[in-house]
Amino acid sequence: MGVSEHFPALIVVIFFITAFISPLLYRWGRKFSAALVIVTIAAALGMTVSLLVTVQQAGTVFYHMGGWPPPWGIEFKADPLRLFMLLVVISVSLWIFIFALRDLQHELKKRVIGWYYTLYSILVGSMAGIVLTNDLFNLFVLMEICAISACAIISIKEDRECLEASFKYLILSAMGTGCFLLGVVMLYMATGYLNYSFLHLELAEAFNYYPRNIFTAAALFIVAFGTKAALFPLHVWLPDAHASAPSPSSAMLSGVVIKIYAFALFLMFYEVFPRTLLEAIPLNEIILWLAALGTLFGSIFAMLQSDLKKMLAFSSIGQIAYIFMGIGLNHESALVGGFYHIMVHAVTKAMLFMAAGVIIYSTGVRDIKKLAGIGRVLPITMIAFTIGSASMVGIPGTGGLISKWFLAISALEIGRPVFVIVILASSLLNAIYYMPIVINAFMQQEDFKKDIKPVPRVMLACLVIGMIFIVISGFYTTPVVTLLEQALALYF
Amino acid sequence: MPLSDLTRSRGGKIPIDDQIVRITSRLVVPFIQVYGIYVILNGHLSPGGSFSGGAIFGASLVLLALSFNLEAGARQIPHHAASLLESGGALGYALTGLVGVFVGSSYLANRIAGFPMGQPGELFSAGAILVITVFVGIKVASTIVTLFYYIIEGEK
Repeated sequence: MGVSEHFPALIVVIFFITAFISPLLYRWGRKFSAALVIVTIAAALGMTVSLLVTVQQAGTVFYHMGGWPPPWGIEFKADPLRLFMLLVVISVSLWIFIFALRDLQHELKKRVIGWYYTLYSILVGSMAGIVLTNDLFNLFVLMEICAISACAIISIKEDRECLEASFKYLILSAMGTGCFLLGVVMLYMATGYLNYSFLHLELAEAFNYYPRNIFTAAALFIVAFGTKAALFPLHVWLPDAHASAPSPSSAMLSGVVIKIYAFALFLMFYEVFPRTLLEAIPLNEIILWLAALGTLFGSIFAMLQSDLKKMLAFSSIGQIAYIFMGIGLNHESALVGGFYHIMVHAVTKAMLFMAAGVIIYSTGVRDIKKLAGIGRVLPITMIAFTIGSASMVGIPGTGGLISKWFLAISALEIGRPVFVIVILASSLLNAIYYMPIVINAFMQQEDFKKDIKPVPRVMLACLVIGMIFIVISGFYTTPVVTLLEQALALYF
Repeated sequence: MPLSDLTRSRGGKIPIDDQIVRITSRLVVPFIQVYGIYVILNGHLSPGGSFSGGAIFGASLVLLALSFNLEAGARQIPHHAASLLESGGALGYALTGLVGVFVGSSYLANRIAGFPMGQPGELFSAGAILVITVFVGIKVASTIVTLFYYIIEGEK
């Protein structure tokens, strides 16, 4: 007994408390408002780590809100996989926030920065909730909170492009949540439960009586989470939204937010729907082929872009598809690859957006063609960009290789070599659009012409941390892979 | 009281210069506010609750601002007070939940955390629910006012 027992709830709640203190603090004690957010995220990180230690010793922890046991009350569940997700989400958020401290002053009007802190805390808190919750309706509420705060951190820049993009995002993600709610209704109709564990048991039987309801729910869930996570044909909102947002928001949205929904879909498949359903209709197969198309088309679209951030945004569509491929292959080591990719891509894409942010901060250039020779004036930034690109392509020595390796191995193991070819082809396509930027930045003879503003040290330090992590994740993979294997063993 | 006193302009530009609107809204606003408070306080007993009640209360302040002028309306609930109430309301909710953690049961616990339950069906019953309803009511009312002012100011 003690306060550590309440960690699952507190991890989520402290973000909301901070969110509501922030605007007050920004008015009456501006010095402390950024520090408060940092302390909150750090505290949540500490709680997550402590919870992970507890869970590894004593098994999965359940937390009942208000003391009401499920199926009546809302239940939070902390198992190793969720805590892994939480660790990724919270530590990447902390890192991006430290970067944002300097970048926001350049990109936003002064009076809205306090609101940005609020929105940021709400966003991180809602994502932590999505990861931890074990209740469908609670998931729906948190998804709404997440979607609205995600839209708001795009539109906070208040220029025409941002408003248009965030409005588009708002409409499409509202349709996604609408589909999700309808799916929840279908499942509730058939079983009378909202709790994942109860649904899982009850659906196995209800499937015999109400197959149509449950099929519809499955279809609606795929559309809902597919829209939210930008799975290939449902990705249309992503490029504008992620490209026009302020750089820290882009890093957050592309790095973390879309993966949360991929994770939620994973939970639907492995914790809610019974095995019999997944065998009766080829849900995994649908996800798999959409993901395969996504890896290829995301890269092809990215090649056609001339705007740096837009290219990175399209690349996210290709990369999120790897994670869906892990879910689609429905094999333990494919899922290890998928989850490893969640971690690696969260760091890599966030770092690439940060590098783009530094380039825009210091030179104002967004056009890829005008970046020639920039490596000589912004060396650290472009080295970070190079390492990030290498990880995207999957060059040995970077984390990107490891996840693709696991995906490819498991595709071979279950006898689907065609997906190995897809992975190879998409890696080559990645190389086609990432490498020219790198080569131009360093090899071009002509000098970079524009004036440059000195880059704050904090921003460069963030880039260096990212680089170090990507390289470490390329060599020293054992702890994470063991953790994931243990965590996923619970599902097979 | 002479009629001119009731409808006296309180500085600034007057959006609607209509005595009927002003006098009517002056008469109606207290009743709307009392009704809003009633709906909030009875949230745990009857249909409605913090959101509907807060919206009614907020609408009364918007009505004042519309029928008189913006400055007069803003004086009822100034900008920083509105944002203080807004954050405070939500914060109150979160902190009420934390009471459960401090007494050692669980987050948002009600009866087990020692909130007095009272007699079912009476006004002061249901423990934490009433407290939370009041906080959310404050939050919703001030949010409606804040939203209204942001939209009005956005047009300038």
